[in-house]
Amino acid sequence: MSNLASANPSPAASSTTTPARLQTPRRLFSTLEGVFHEEVFFLILSVFIGIFSGLAVVCFRLAIDWMHLALLGPLPQTHSWRLFAVPSLTGLVVAALVLHVFPTIRGSGVNQTKAALYIFNGFIPFRTAIGKFICAALAIGSGQSLGPEDPALQIGASIASALGRQLEISREKLRLMAPVGAAAGLAAAFNAPISAVLFVIEEVIGRWSAGILGSVVLSAVSSVVIVRWFLGSEPLFRIPVTTFKRPTELLAYAVLGIVGGLASVAFAKSIGYLRPRLKALPRWTQYFQPALAGLLVGLIAFLGAPQIMGAGYDSMDQAMHGQYAWKVLAILAVLKIIATTFSFVSGTPGGMFAPTLFIGAMLGGAIGDIERFYFPQLTGSTGTYVLVGMGVLFAGFLRVPMTSVFMVLEVSGNYEIIVPVIVANTFSYLVSRGFQTIPIFDLLTRQDGLILPSLEEDREEAILRVEDAMLPVPATILNAQDYVDANAHRIQESPDVTFLVRMHPSGWNIISRDQLQRLFQEGKGELTLGSVLPAQSLPSLYPDLPLDSALRYVNDYALVPVVNRANARQLEGVISRNSVFEKYGSRRAIEVPSTT
Amino acid sequence: MSWKFPKLIPRSAPVILLVLTLAAATGFAAVSHLVFRYNLNQQARGRRLYQQGFAAASAARYDDAIAAFRAALTCDPTNSQYQLSLARALRDSNDPRRLDEAESYLIALWQRTPQDAAVNLALARVAAHRGSIEDATRYYHNAMYGVWNSDQDANRSRARIELIQFLLRKNAPAQAESEIMALATALPPDPASHLQTAQLFAQAHDYAGALTQYEEVLRLNPDNPSALAGAGEAAYRTGNYAAAQHYLRAAVNAHPEDADSRQLLATTELILRTNPFQSHISDAERNRRIAAAFAQAGERLTECAQQAGLDLKAATAPATTAAAASFTASPLPTLQSRWTAAKSELARLRSPGETDLPDAIMDVVFQIEQRTAAACGQPQGLDLALLLISQKREAASQ
Repeated sequence: MSNLASANPSPAASSTTTPARLQTPRRLFSTLEGVFHEEVFFLILSVFIGIFSGLAVVCFRLAIDWMHLALLGPLPQTHSWRLFAVPSLTGLVVAALVLHVFPTIRGSGVNQTKAALYIFNGFIPFRTAIGKFICAALAIGSGQSLGPEDPALQIGASIASALGRQLEISREKLRLMAPVGAAAGLAAAFNAPISAVLFVIEEVIGRWSAGILGSVVLSAVSSVVIVRWFLGSEPLFRIPVTTFKRPTELLAYAVLGIVGGLASVAFAKSIGYLRPRLKALPRWTQYFQPALAGLLVGLIAFLGAPQIMGAGYDSMDQAMHGQYAWKVLAILAVLKIIATTFSFVSGTPGGMFAPTLFIGAMLGGAIGDIERFYFPQLTGSTGTYVLVGMGVLFAGFLRVPMTSVFMVLEVSGNYEIIVPVIVANTFSYLVSRGFQTIPIFDLLTRQDGLILPSLEEDREEAILRVEDAMLPVPATILNAQDYVDANAHRIQESPDVTFLVRMHPSGWNIISRDQLQRLFQEGKGELTLGSVLPAQSLPSLYPDLPLDSALRYVNDYALVPVVNRANARQLEGVISRNSVFEKYGSRRAIEVPSTT
Repeated sequence: MSWKFPKLIPRSAPVILLVLTLAAATGFAAVSHLVFRYNLNQQARGRRLYQQGFAAASAARYDDAIAAFRAALTCDPTNSQYQLSLARALRDSNDPRRLDEAESYLIALWQRTPQDAAVNLALARVAAHRGSIEDATRYYHNAMYGVWNSDQDANRSRARIELIQFLLRKNAPAQAESEIMALATALPPDPASHLQTAQLFAQAHDYAGALTQYEEVLRLNPDNPSALAGAGEAAYRTGNYAAAQHYLRAAVNAHPEDADSRQLLATTELILRTNPFQSHISDAERNRRIAAAFAQAGERLTECAQQAGLDLKAATAPATTAAAASFTASPLPTLQSRWTAAKSELARLRSPGETDLPDAIMDVVFQIEQRTAAACGQPQGLDLALLLISQKREAASQ
């Protein structure tokens, strides 16, 4: 934006050279130039990113539907040759496109967007958006067990990045364009702006940043408005009656959380194990990997489980309304894990959001039915367990605990089940973290040879605070209202070389033994210490501040007072240069994580 | 290969925003057109699938119907007609697991158009499937007072009749009767409607109401055989035996193979022949009828005692403990005593001053018939006639 302002003549210059009838529009133009400084311009741009991403996602969803109708027909089919022929043959086409035309569109797109933010200065080629649109629509429309949300996220990020480059915005802002577009794309695909914003913060940006929050929210909201305008505001699922009556039932949800956590681990480990091995196979095999994955998905469908094809929202809806027995639900969950694992590791472009929800829904329904069989007093309906199950897999597999809670609430529009959701998600998250240290998206990034920051690491990192390096209150504290000779007399017994001085009426100062003796020798012993010290007082710190904040002062001052927040005259301790560096030195060096 | 946008946009914020606005408007228009065309295609496809589903549902192939309606809904997700049809197919498939989903669709529709009578009726039927009287009644009432697309009165009446039949099935005759009364107040002048209402009254055991409706049918169509038979039975049940005889005779004449009416007619005529309280009969005839009834009651008492293994002629209770207990617990010995006592009074019937005696003797007869009916089962022939006369007398005195 800096060049935007400089590209325009100043109002004074234009007034001397422009005829009077043109002066009014020019003045207005100049006023507008002044209004649109970079921050404001970036916020407005976020709205446009949301609009463009929303329009793209509308087209993307239509393309998937159209592909599905054209390739598999409108009615669900069982035991038809199309079920395995279509995904296999489409897999060949997708593989050829990925290998020769769009090499950057493999996989989900979430980690690629994160890499764009942290490594490539926000650069995502526009070709990625085109390739992702075509190939993901082909793959999902043909029945590969993948979802449209992650590709929509990458399409949004790619559009935003292209727009930012075209407008030549500053590098700092260009870097932020990717997450802004990602939020717009995901919100549009999921029809859930809050979840999209949280997911982008938790997974793409990887840290809480107030600076970008406004833009992310604006883009997400505007894209959702666009999608709802064109495709209606119908929710993804028709939510049945959900109930939570007795707190003791939380035990049942905790069990669901534990089972969901274990399923998440199995799902993540199978992807983590197979993906690098398939990538390491000779290049010619990559032409056939998506086709073979499609064949596997098709065979599962042909043998009686067509529900696992595509995103599977219709089947989730039916599961929510108790259409399947628990055995069917459990089988569908297992089959979906297998189908999605192979679809994803084969390099077929497509997302894992919808499959994760599908697996969670089926698993939740199955566990709920089993629990209610053995404990008929449980009041939760199948729909309640299905909804909670969705969040459980989200928390365990994608490792986005906050998004997982809000996603369930946003999708269901029901706050009655918030407690079961939080309990189950927490158990799932803890179980998953216990057995699978690295979250799935970080794992994929590391398999690609990149190391990116993660909110989970950030959360777990112990922050050093001032109180950790704080020394005890010194035995000798001088008083500014006492005479210099009295203070000189007091320090004779002390071994310290620097002393804190309590100023009047408030504040702190510092004086060394040498300085005080020099004042005494200069005959200023009859003066108060406060009158001979510089007026500017010493900065003070609070015990709970990060230790980094002490670094600003410890080079300039030998001692920095640490005071109580409620009473600035109450000394809690002191900080010195040595104490700070000793604390940092005692901390283990940060290890570079391995890539496996 | 690397693609780049051509740098066409001048570097000025207002111009950029103007260009972006134009681009957004253009994109909006283009996507609008695309979505419009797509929706047209989808709606056409949805209609075809709906027709398939409708045909399958009409042929009771509910699985096929459900699949087709689901597919139609994916083409046109907000179409109320498709949702309603899917919900109906789910409900009618007789799979309890599908009721939840049917209800969910219907509730969503109901939330959008709570006044829609068809939706309320479908919800009422789901509630009826679940056996919930409260919910079913509420939704049936909503359907009755809701908005129908066509044939409003007939549809409302049908909904009420469905509710009445549901309440009768659920053994709630009091609620059913109040609904039938409401139904009867707004009937069209149509024999079929009155006939159906009369039958509903009869099912709810309101035979007076039934008789009124049957008579209304006969007023509109005097030869209606169902109405004749129904009116005959209703009159018989209310104790109006003269009317019953009239209608049942007409019914039997119109339909000689109607065995039920014939049987009722026989009983009715027997009652009319044997009832000592019949008006317009002479004293001699009344006394004759009393004597015949008294003799019949004595026979009935003896037969019933034999059936129960009791010897009423024995002067004292049997010696064995079990037989003695049975003898003293049974009302039959007491009745036998009363009958024997009354027998000696029978000769005084002809005396002109004995105005209370006929009632006293018939009281013994009625008690015998009622107690033996309870102890030995429903009687036949003259005993049945006497029992019915006793019941009518009892009802009249109450």
